[in-house]
Amino acid sequence: MGKLQKKGKAGAAINYITRNQALKKLQVTLADFRRLCILKGIYPREPKNKKKANKGSTAPSTFYYAKDIQYLMHEPILGKFREYKTFAKKMAKVMSKGQYSTAKTLAENKPIYTLDHIIKERYPTFTDALRDLDDALCMIFLFATMPKTDKIKAETIENCQRLAAEFQHYVLHTRSLRKVFLSIKGIYYQAEIKGQTITWLVPYQFSQDVPTDVDFRVMLTFLEFHQTLCGFVNYRLYSDVNLVYPPALDLKLDEGGAGMNALIIESTQSSANIAKSVNTPVTAVSASLSKEEKQRLQESEKRLKTLSSKIAHIQENGEDEKASTEANANDDSIDEFPTQLPNTDGSSSATVTFTDIQRASQHLTQFQSLFSNCYIFLSREVPRYSLEFILRALGAQVGWDAVLGEGSPFDENDDRITHQISDRPVQGHRFLSRQYVQPQWAYDCINAGKLLTAEPYHVGKTLPPHLSPFVEAKEGDYVPDQNQFEGQTEDLVMESGDEEESEDEDEEEDEDEDESEDEDAEHKDLHQIELEAEAKGVAFTEFEAKENKKKKAATKTSSTTVATTRSANKKRTAAEIEEEEQKDLAKIMMTNKQAKLYNKIQYGKDKKAAEVQKLTEKKQQIAKGAKAAASKKAKK
Amino acid sequence: MPARPTRKAAAAAKPAPVAPNKAAAPAPKSRKRTVDEAKEESDDEFGEVAIDMNSDDEDASEGDDEDEDEDAEEFPEEEGQDMSAADLDEDDEEEEDSEDSYMDGDSIADSQEENEDDDDDIEEDSDDEEGRDFDALMREDDIDPNFGHNLNEPLPEESDYNPIKRQYPEIDPSYDSDSSTEENENTVGNIPMEWYDEYPHIGYDIDGKKIMRPATGDELDKFLSTMDDPDSWLSAHNYKEGQDVKLTAEELDIIRRLEGNRIPDADYNPYEDQVEFFSSKTEIMPLSAAPEPKRRFIPSKHEAKRIMKIVRAIREGRIVPRKSGYVPPKPKYYNLWNDSEDKPREEHVMHITAPKMKLPTHDESYNPPAEYLPTEEEIKEWNEMDKEDRPKNYLPQKYNALRNVPGYGQFIQERFERCLDLYLAPRVRKNRLNIDPESLIPKLPSPRDLQPFPTRLAIEYLGHEGRVRSISVDPSGLWLASGSDDKTVRVWEVSTGRCMATYHVDELVTSVVWGPNKDIAVLAVSCGYKVGLILPEKLFSPELTLHSEEYLKAGFANVAATDANAKATWKQPTPAEYEQGIRVWIHLQKPVKQVTWHRKGDYFSTVAPDANNSAVLIHQLTKHQTQQPFKKTKGAVQRVMFHPTKPMFFVATQRYVRQYNLQRQELVKTMMTGVKWVSSLDVHPAGDNLIIGSYDKRLCWFDLDLSSKPYKTLRYHTQAIRSVAYHKRYPLFASCADDGHVQIFHGMVYNDLLQNPLIVPVKILKDVHKRVDALGALCVEWHPNQPWLISSGADHTIKLFS
Repeated sequence: MGKLQKKGKAGAAINYITRNQALKKLQVTLADFRRLCILKGIYPREPKNKKKANKGSTAPSTFYYAKDIQYLMHEPILGKFREYKTFAKKMAKVMSKGQYSTAKTLAENKPIYTLDHIIKERYPTFTDALRDLDDALCMIFLFATMPKTDKIKAETIENCQRLAAEFQHYVLHTRSLRKVFLSIKGIYYQAEIKGQTITWLVPYQFSQDVPTDVDFRVMLTFLEFHQTLCGFVNYRLYSDVNLVYPPALDLKLDEGGAGMNALIIESTQSSANIAKSVNTPVTAVSASLSKEEKQRLQESEKRLKTLSSKIAHIQENGEDEKASTEANANDDSIDEFPTQLPNTDGSSSATVTFTDIQRASQHLTQFQSLFSNCYIFLSREVPRYSLEFILRALGAQVGWDAVLGEGSPFDENDDRITHQISDRPVQGHRFLSRQYVQPQWAYDCINAGKLLTAEPYHVGKTLPPHLSPFVEAKEGDYVPDQNQFEGQTEDLVMESGDEEESEDEDEEEDEDEDESEDEDAEHKDLHQIELEAEAKGVAFTEFEAKENKKKKAATKTSSTTVATTRSANKKRTAAEIEEEEQKDLAKIMMTNKQAKLYNKIQYGKDKKAAEVQKLTEKKQQIAKGAKAAASKKAKK
Repeated sequence: MPARPTRKAAAAAKPAPVAPNKAAAPAPKSRKRTVDEAKEESDDEFGEVAIDMNSDDEDASEGDDEDEDEDAEEFPEEEGQDMSAADLDEDDEEEEDSEDSYMDGDSIADSQEENEDDDDDIEEDSDDEEGRDFDALMREDDIDPNFGHNLNEPLPEESDYNPIKRQYPEIDPSYDSDSSTEENENTVGNIPMEWYDEYPHIGYDIDGKKIMRPATGDELDKFLSTMDDPDSWLSAHNYKEGQDVKLTAEELDIIRRLEGNRIPDADYNPYEDQVEFFSSKTEIMPLSAAPEPKRRFIPSKHEAKRIMKIVRAIREGRIVPRKSGYVPPKPKYYNLWNDSEDKPREEHVMHITAPKMKLPTHDESYNPPAEYLPTEEEIKEWNEMDKEDRPKNYLPQKYNALRNVPGYGQFIQERFERCLDLYLAPRVRKNRLNIDPESLIPKLPSPRDLQPFPTRLAIEYLGHEGRVRSISVDPSGLWLASGSDDKTVRVWEVSTGRCMATYHVDELVTSVVWGPNKDIAVLAVSCGYKVGLILPEKLFSPELTLHSEEYLKAGFANVAATDANAKATWKQPTPAEYEQGIRVWIHLQKPVKQVTWHRKGDYFSTVAPDANNSAVLIHQLTKHQTQQPFKKTKGAVQRVMFHPTKPMFFVATQRYVRQYNLQRQELVKTMMTGVKWVSSLDVHPAGDNLIIGSYDKRLCWFDLDLSSKPYKTLRYHTQAIRSVAYHKRYPLFASCADDGHVQIFHGMVYNDLLQNPLIVPVKILKDVHKRVDALGALCVEWHPNQPWLISSGADHTIKLFS
């Protein structure tokens, strides 16, 4: 017989600790505990058996993982909190006594805590930090638009604005923006950084009315953490692409309302060396290229030196970016040589995937330079904070009306402008050389991954619906418009899709061949097949079903040419009925557990189906109404 | 010389505040005191001139303490005089002036002045006060000659020395004694005087007597008086007195000053010189004569302690000395991560990363497709819903241009809720089952492979006029007997549906069963308290009929069977009944519910659930004997059944099925059905399996070799199961229920003990019988040779499916 197990000595009873117990153990106030939890990322747990976890009591309580609390005991921040408390007491005492010199000394030794170690602890690798950046960015972008109140300090807002602009600059620089979405809540952006998709939501820039039912202490504690996280992530991101962090702020531009352009993005002096060291192995293949690069780097260095002194640094910056992208392109071309070599002889599956990867990367580079041939001008009524960001992030040259802030690289009269984004009912003066489009065009272009024809987006026209790029339609989902962006490509884009299409066709042909083979098989002696099946131990009905399926497939293929008769339809329905009946019978034999699960899944499926059904019906109704209206008009 | 007396008074009045200290030793003197002394010295200078007052000065020089005493004692008297003087000064200007100067002498400021300015100032003073000094001189004799005398000292010579008694003016001690002009003061106080408008008087004087309103003329009089009196413009109406008062020059002056925003008091000097109470001059004599304490000369231990504490703290590094100079701030951000050294967090069950926010769907777009927009009812429904119940926290909306999109009001709240979720919501790992629901449905052999089984209605047997509770097919498979609530037993031809015979009984027929022996044609019928054995004459061959007749009658020869209180009595039928075909009646004590035969056809058992321990009886046909197998029954017996091959007996009570060995007379097995109320029971023809149906819709299959718990429990009927039945030859069984459905299963039992029986539902016969009074199909029975199913129901019909 084993050792007698005592109750409450193992398992849930010691794994979990209630909040009040935790408070008692840590000797902190609830407010401090809350801050600790937010900063350390500690969250309550739901024990499987609450009664066991609560020492037999069923009273409702919040449980924490006991080890989380145990680790909190050694948290340096907890010590700092206590120090601060004593400091505050001392300060109050000294001030009330009027001992100002002592107060000064005290103030100099005011305990300050940093969150560096917590960030490192919560996100041991950089990837972890990136993965959790969504909330941080949302928060920072929100607070960047908040007004200063008695709770929200001006410095906090300023810092948030800065961090947001820094991050946006990084996305611009690396062209890692992937998707955008205009929702009623704000604008969603999705970027892909180091393989992590980061989605954040930016409110429309209206003055936020600060609600009273929100506990800003909680929000600000979160913000404190998110600011630190975002700062470290920004540092890392900038240093990874050899940019100086923190970027200097051009005060003049900042005052002029240049927004994120007020930051001066510079590459580090040492970056040249690093780049050289990185590039040497690559460039070893072609020495001439390396020379070119060296030259270019020198040039860029020269430019960088003069950069800070000049006012028109933005344009140069743009050129710089161009240069960098060019360099990228060169790198890609180098990479491609070895990959294409095995591609020519082998046709095994491995090489196919390789080409796939290649194609994907090619696609990506094309996407990243989506607007590279565009000069886009923003009218004064469009949101520059968003449009400038998304357009520049995909390579466009963007200029804007002086009302929208300083620093526009070109003005409205520039001949190079290809598109002008304006959001007004009627466009007055028009330049014939450019397209006047509504803002949605830019967003839809990005989501479609190609330059769409500007025609449906012209100023004053009713816009096509704007769909969420984040929805991945699964089987059975409602798809509002399957081929929304089909065939709307503008001439400006390089022809890329054709190759794919031709390959698709090839595949289709292959399939056709397979089917024909099947048909051939059918011509074989049926009896013989039956015999073979029996020898294999296949039940007759199964065999029959198989045969039927084959036949059905055959009829399907043939039905493309010949219209299906009603009788065929009826037959099918009869078969379906039988199948349904069999299913019902089989359901009888399900165990209780299985039946419950099945019903649950079926319930969800039915619900979804009902929703889809509802939407399709609505759509049909709307279409009908539209048709009727159109016909009425025509009659009139 | 002329100012002499006033100066003296000042000197006398001066030390009054110091008076309480007079008892102290004379040696230590405060600076204040020294001031006085200095002044007295100056007095002494004058003293030489004023010989007549010499005695005073001498006193002063004699001893300070005495002097002080004397001063202190004198002060009140002096004060009293001052007060009276002050009281008087308002009327008499000249007097006021003199008194003012007198008061000046009294003030400290003056003494100070004397101190600082010495002789020059005094000269000025004397110049200023020249005129007034004269007046004062004139009144020199007003002053008490005893002035300055120490009252404590005895004055023996007073009576003779000072014969002239001075008369002082009477002092009125009342508060307003200063306003001596007013004889009749109105004492109503500060009240609105219109309260007295209705009365002849305007108030009360100090004695409480009414002050009558002074006579006032009419407007003309007033006008005339103003015209007459050149000073009328100087007069003002005193409402309290009810008459015009002529303003004095001083009052006019005050008014003028007030009008000019000046201080009303002409004599008030707002820029008076500062009084140096504690002058910058150090005094020669200390206040205290105490020797300097020792502690002033030795270092403080306490301070040393405190210093050592600080020193120690610095040494130990607890106190960091203030940094000097500019310290460059540490970089706020740096490279926190080092890819080569960073180890990803180990997977742990208790670590759950925060889930990401849900990505927006199409309907969140500012310009969604039209079908996503909610209808008015949906909007209403959404608005009425609780915030927590809403499937989405927004309503889809369409704006035709981006410029029309407003700010989202709930943005901060939603972010706040997300924050709350992050730190307050318990995180639970939920495994989402990503399985195809179809895979949950067990793979069963196709019913078509399991044929034959009945699929369609073949014959309907019509004729009964009540519920057909029980049916039975005879062993040859030709005849079908049915018992109904219309108190008849009918025999039908199976293949045609023709009713061959009808037997009328006097009770509802609960059970009809053909005897299993093919050599004997007998039909057992239970109705009410009796069980009848019927020999259907015309249906069988004459030989068989004859044989059966003999078999049935043989028992009557057995006389021993007659027992007074037997549980059952075997009786001959009446001739009429005999004519019908009934051969034997067995009377029981309680209503019989079920009759069942032993496989050999000699024994049969009856169930009368109400008859406690005699609920189950076993009757022997050949001997006309009845046995009671159980002395005690455990629960209400529902059904009984003989084992098809072995001497076993199954008894189904409400919840359990018990298997008894009849030979050994012992309980073999108890089967826990797990159902609430067993309704029917059937044993597999091989004897190793049995099925039960229950009123709580369940059908249980027991493998007798396997366990006491059901091998399979199936629940597919929506109403109570009424009857279950195995086919004798085919691997089929069926059940019928109150929902009117009949279910047919393929139930294959293998000879191999290791293989479990295979149960496959093969056919659902839907709505076989109509539901009448909550009853549907009541009984199912298989044809003994063919895969045919016969069912009877509450709708008076019997149906055969083939």
